[in-house]
Amino acid sequence: MAADTLPPLVAAQLNYLLTHSPLSVKVDQIWSGCKNPHLTDRFTLLIPFCLDYIRWDVIYNAQFPLAAPDVIFAAEDENFHPIAIDGEEEGGVHKPKSSLCDWNSKDPSRLLSLIHELRDLYISYQRKRVGELEDERLKFEISTIFSREGIEMCMSSGTDKPEEVRFSVPLLDMDLNKLVQGCPWRHQQKIYLQVIFPVTRKYSVAPSAPRVKLVSSSELKILFSVEDVKLPPWLDGMCMAEYLPTMEETLRAQVLEAVASIGVRRRFIEALAPLFGRPVEADPVFCRKATFLAASSVFTFLVHFVIPSQFPKQQPVLMLQSSQHLNTQGTPVMSPALTDYRWSPRWEASQMAERIFEFLVEECLSFKKYCNESLLQQH
Amino acid sequence: MDDPKLQKIAISGPTLASIIQRFHSSNGDVDGVLFGHVTDITASDLQDDDGPDASSSRSDSPILVATITSFFCSGTINSFYDSVGRLDLNALRRFLGDRGPGRSFIGWFVGRRRTPLRPSMRESLVTASLSNKALNLVPPDDPLSSSLNFPPCVFIVFSTPFSDRLIHTHEHRAFQFRRSAGVFEPKSVDVINIGPAFRGHYSAFSPSSPFPWLSCGSSHSEDKRSDSLNQVKRIAKEQQGLDLCAEGFEIGRLSSLMGSEAANYTSELEGLYTKMLAKLDGLAHLVEQSSARVFEQENRNVKLRLKVMTFFVVSASGGSSIEAEYCRPFSDSSLYDSAFCLSLAFCWLWSKIKHQG
Repeated sequence: MAADTLPPLVAAQLNYLLTHSPLSVKVDQIWSGCKNPHLTDRFTLLIPFCLDYIRWDVIYNAQFPLAAPDVIFAAEDENFHPIAIDGEEEGGVHKPKSSLCDWNSKDPSRLLSLIHELRDLYISYQRKRVGELEDERLKFEISTIFSREGIEMCMSSGTDKPEEVRFSVPLLDMDLNKLVQGCPWRHQQKIYLQVIFPVTRKYSVAPSAPRVKLVSSSELKILFSVEDVKLPPWLDGMCMAEYLPTMEETLRAQVLEAVASIGVRRRFIEALAPLFGRPVEADPVFCRKATFLAASSVFTFLVHFVIPSQFPKQQPVLMLQSSQHLNTQGTPVMSPALTDYRWSPRWEASQMAERIFEFLVEECLSFKKYCNESLLQQH
Repeated sequence: MDDPKLQKIAISGPTLASIIQRFHSSNGDVDGVLFGHVTDITASDLQDDDGPDASSSRSDSPILVATITSFFCSGTINSFYDSVGRLDLNALRRFLGDRGPGRSFIGWFVGRRRTPLRPSMRESLVTASLSNKALNLVPPDDPLSSSLNFPPCVFIVFSTPFSDRLIHTHEHRAFQFRRSAGVFEPKSVDVINIGPAFRGHYSAFSPSSPFPWLSCGSSHSEDKRSDSLNQVKRIAKEQQGLDLCAEGFEIGRLSSLMGSEAANYTSELEGLYTKMLAKLDGLAHLVEQSSARVFEQENRNVKLRLKVMTFFVVSASGGSSIEAEYCRPFSDSSLYDSAFCLSLAFCWLWSKIKHQG
């Protein structure tokens, strides 16, 4: 990691932020602000917000590593002033003390608390901006979904595109990480509904439907792909408070089905074992992959099973890999993905395994021929 | 109206150049305060025929230009404010104390390398604190500050480009902080005497900058009798030093340069000049050597500081505040002073490190 050249105290804080934050904060670049370019002391953080990233430059000073860092926000957030100025706390509104106030550079968790504090303030800043828009529908939407927790919203406007407001609504109040036994995810997995409303300042009888899209954290794809979910249509005059409950119900059923399909896949892999022998390698958590060693007389090869998340509706993808033939690059010869075998999702797991076995008995002969041919071409 | 809008900000070429030079020669980031004056350049010609469009813009918004004439660079960061932008009034008064007459405090600047040219979170806070109405830095009897009640709301960011391949090496951007709206408004910066716009000025040139302010005035005038004894002593000592260089050549004797004996004197005087030049040369040599030593020392300090930092992390027990005291700026004192300070600081730090084992 490039953080090696940061002053040790700063590096400790950055590493703590990257490893301990529940958000998946990323470092975009690290650079130097000193005359000596080897002393790096500033970096750009990519902080997840509203299903996107915001870029903040964190400015330390290698000459004074004990001093608190400064932050430069994105150019479009020039009105974001997170910390109250002394003497401005009139009217009895006293903001909580910032973590910058008594900066202790020896405490590695300080940068994390600063970034989280600023991000929370940024969420309320964006919420306030959206709330100030003269748009009746948006005002109504905000007032009706106010009780839902974790909603983030932001304004997006550019010179060449119309003003829009983007909502990110966390769905399903269940802990997806706990649904999967032995789950390897470090970050909390979540599915969000992204709703983009065009801003209409004038009153219109039939406002256009917003663009809706499901977004999930990237690691969730191995269990459940949100692209496969068919969203219900947004009817005229509908609002989010109406749309969300039914949508959430169908989604919940689909997620539970996806979790249950782990068991189905596991039983399928187990059913393969009596025919193919113990798997050489298998994915024990999501049961999406398994590899078996097989032989036809002296021809030995590996069979890779890639089991889709929609199993058993979709059949596994098979790939054969020779243990005896290498191609010109020195890697083992692989067959193309095989899916053109007979399949029915209604079969028992043992029957599925038997059918695949029968298919492979035939197929491995043509694969052997294919391997020999590719060897001949090399000479 | 206590928050008047500036039309533009003007800065003289030498002032801009020396700010950039201070920033360029420092190892890290720097900040400092800006002095100058605000002038009202609203055209005073009164029109009899008050058109509807002219009257509105003329009457209530004077055209103001802030001119930056000098600055003080602290050579460090957080020099008069803390991490959340609260002002350290004592430090600020110290900075403002030595500015001389005719210069009011109109803003501040920051130099930070390879950063975007917009105010950071802390800089916004500091600027907002500076333009706070309750802030009372300038004594009320200061004639300039009272004539135009103008808050120190000018802020200039200096930076260097991210890419090394660009031709220019420094960039800057000036802002006026509008207290009423709480926003920074970018302002154009006119560098006086640079660019074609100023060519016309030379035809009608009249120097407007004040003569450099010298605190030690001439002691001959009668009304300065009340000066302290110390000052009189010092001036006497300086005079002695001067006399030593002149080697008996008083101003009075210069009159002998005219007339019949002039030839002898000329050769003697030339001899004196040669000696003085040799002395100057030696002095220049000394300065060169000591600057080399200062440079070496600064490099060593950077290395030491890094070591100290590593030491902090490894032991994590240190209650000592080496950095805090050690990093005090050796601000605008003369070259010899700073060399002396540096070596003192170094000795002190070295003994402390040795002591800690």
